[in-house]
Amino acid sequence: MKALAAFWMRLLAFTLLALIAATVLFEKQSPPKTGVGGDGLPSAGTLGPVYASQTQVKLVDLIPASLSGEANQDSEPFLAIQTANPQVMVASAFTPNPVSSTGNAPVYVSQDGGNSWVLNAITPVPRMTCDITHAMPTGENHPRGDLHAGTLACAASITLDESESNDVSSSAVMNVQSTRSNVDQPFVRALGISNADHIYVGINDFNQPNGRTATVDVSVDGGATYKSFSIEARNTAGQDGPSVRPAVAADNTVYAAFFGWRKFNGKTATSDVVVVRDDAGGTGPNPFQALRDPSDKLPGRLVVKRVSIPWSNAPTLGQERIGSTLSIAVDPNNSSTVYVGWADRGRKGDIYTLHVRRSTDRGLTWSKADLPHTTISNATNIALAVANNGAVGLLYQQLSGGRWVTHIVQSHDAFATVQDVILANVPANAPVQQFLPYLGDYDYLLSVGNEFRGVFCANNSPDLADFPQGVTYQRAADFNTKTLTDGSGNPVPISIDPFYFSVPVIP
Amino acid sequence: MNFSSSFFAGILWTALLAPAVAGLPQGQNSQAAVSQLGAVSFAGVPQSTQTIVVRVDSVLKKPPAVSLKKGDNVTVELKDPSAFQQGTQATFYTEGWIFGSGVAVKELGHEFNAGGASAAGAGTGETALGYTQEQISDQELRDRLNSADFVVIGRVTDVHRWTVPKSATPRRVSEHDPDWHEAVVQVQSVLKGAQVKGNKVVVRFPGRNDVAWVHSPKFEKNQQGI
Repeated sequence: MKALAAFWMRLLAFTLLALIAATVLFEKQSPPKTGVGGDGLPSAGTLGPVYASQTQVKLVDLIPASLSGEANQDSEPFLAIQTANPQVMVASAFTPNPVSSTGNAPVYVSQDGGNSWVLNAITPVPRMTCDITHAMPTGENHPRGDLHAGTLACAASITLDESESNDVSSSAVMNVQSTRSNVDQPFVRALGISNADHIYVGINDFNQPNGRTATVDVSVDGGATYKSFSIEARNTAGQDGPSVRPAVAADNTVYAAFFGWRKFNGKTATSDVVVVRDDAGGTGPNPFQALRDPSDKLPGRLVVKRVSIPWSNAPTLGQERIGSTLSIAVDPNNSSTVYVGWADRGRKGDIYTLHVRRSTDRGLTWSKADLPHTTISNATNIALAVANNGAVGLLYQQLSGGRWVTHIVQSHDAFATVQDVILANVPANAPVQQFLPYLGDYDYLLSVGNEFRGVFCANNSPDLADFPQGVTYQRAADFNTKTLTDGSGNPVPISIDPFYFSVPVIP
Repeated sequence: MNFSSSFFAGILWTALLAPAVAGLPQGQNSQAAVSQLGAVSFAGVPQSTQTIVVRVDSVLKKPPAVSLKKGDNVTVELKDPSAFQQGTQATFYTEGWIFGSGVAVKELGHEFNAGGASAAGAGTGETALGYTQEQISDQELRDRLNSADFVVIGRVTDVHRWTVPKSATPRRVSEHDPDWHEAVVQVQSVLKGAQVKGNKVVVRFPGRNDVAWVHSPKFEKNQQGI
């Protein structure tokens, strides 16, 4: 009897052990939350001489549930975070008005820190913008504003509108404060100062004389008035490159980076990467002349000289075009430290190679070589940001093994050691492009509090293997069958969607 | 926001409002009843005395991208909320406003359903809607003909890149460069405008597949049309 009892006890114990083991195994293999919510999953991917870290990543597909039937190429994302209340954010992409070719182009609005997003058709542009960037400095203290946007309208004459919304959830269309044509790629940064918003819009302005087209539009009165300043002091190949990127520090230091095109043959631009600086928020009569290059004593420090930048307005890097990716970021609490990143031809065999350099003396001198781990081949859409604790963030998208891989990299020591988290790893050959840019001519990264927040675009196939940190879809999606539906069970083709993410800043 | 965005119909008298929607190329058309006043149907929509929630009884027409079905609650921002009570059934003509976990629209006009909606009425509404859509389509064509200086029926016989004359404005390099092309059209008949010398016209169009030009027509050899 004793032996029989012992046998049953052992069997019971073994069964319990097996059950526990099975439960643990099941939990490890289960998809994150319902298959559509990966919010807060651990497991950061890591590369190179890095320190592995358990990272809490929030990743959300911005397409709302009520637009589950859409299959647009919602590429080229951007993000604004309201300074006074970071729960309020605005994102954008090449998303058309959902119901009309004459209705206003929309923006995405979140009021809960990025957990949920709605689409609100408030831009001044009909149907869909063909460039849009924005910022929410809130110097004017509106609870769900102040959104300042630079938009291009897609029409026979491409027109820039610089506009404002005091409430991004209202139905009021943004108020156009300034407009002009013959410009390219507006890029908005802003700083709220007392009760006025200081707005800086980098523009490639073809109206500037002598082909010195790199321009910053400056407003120190919330957009009521703008002044345009060419920041190119040298002769060009008839114009500068499209990307003109401002960066603003809390102490009113404003940097701007641009591609000073010296030669252009239709396929390659021979370009300087130029950084200018102003120490008074661009308010003086001749701003952005604080930095001069030792070689010619002209305003604008040449970070690198005469690099070759391939220009291809056709699918070249996978299905993406290339020619002008550039980013600059300043430490918000130490305006002496500034990073600049760009892409050029790189080494033989590379299509497009990213580089990052740093200055710690207000742009006077720059690292002579790329910072460690920042020479990245076959990649684009570089975006830099610096957190309050000095950690630098680097967002980029790399074509690797037939897939677009989106990285967010952080470092405390100028990339000597890094934390590299893969946000998305999706097929690069699907969907087929509807137009260019396929993913966007840029993506975006910001820091707020102890988070880096950003946006990128990617293939929206609901496949958890594509999103190593997990993902939340608002639109109807079945992660078991890896299919999208229109909310009524009908299949919807995969397309390019904008994704919002946040990651904790490394301590 | 342009008037011609969408319309959301609560009952069956769409045809009676045909003149009011004659410029609406696409939209939503459903049957619905007012279920809440001064309310919204999902987070992210600002609540006010002008917002009401209506329940959709049936969907007659909507853009394919928009998820909307029977039983869904929709927020409508009214022009005059005093005209509505809980349980009111009406036809709403609206434009899109906010799209989130649900749909919010702005009223352009409405028509009350005194007798209440019915299944039979839905069929009548569909018939009326079809008639309205025909009217809209005809009106769109009339508008396009009126706005054009020159209208022909013809066939594309050649497409080639346009060589920019040296006297033109200096070429600017931009991602949005249109890369102008020309389509040579053999004219079969002229519907509007003067007769054409040699019966050929050249139509210049952007050849680039950039976002700025994706909705512009791209002509190909042997295409025929108006």
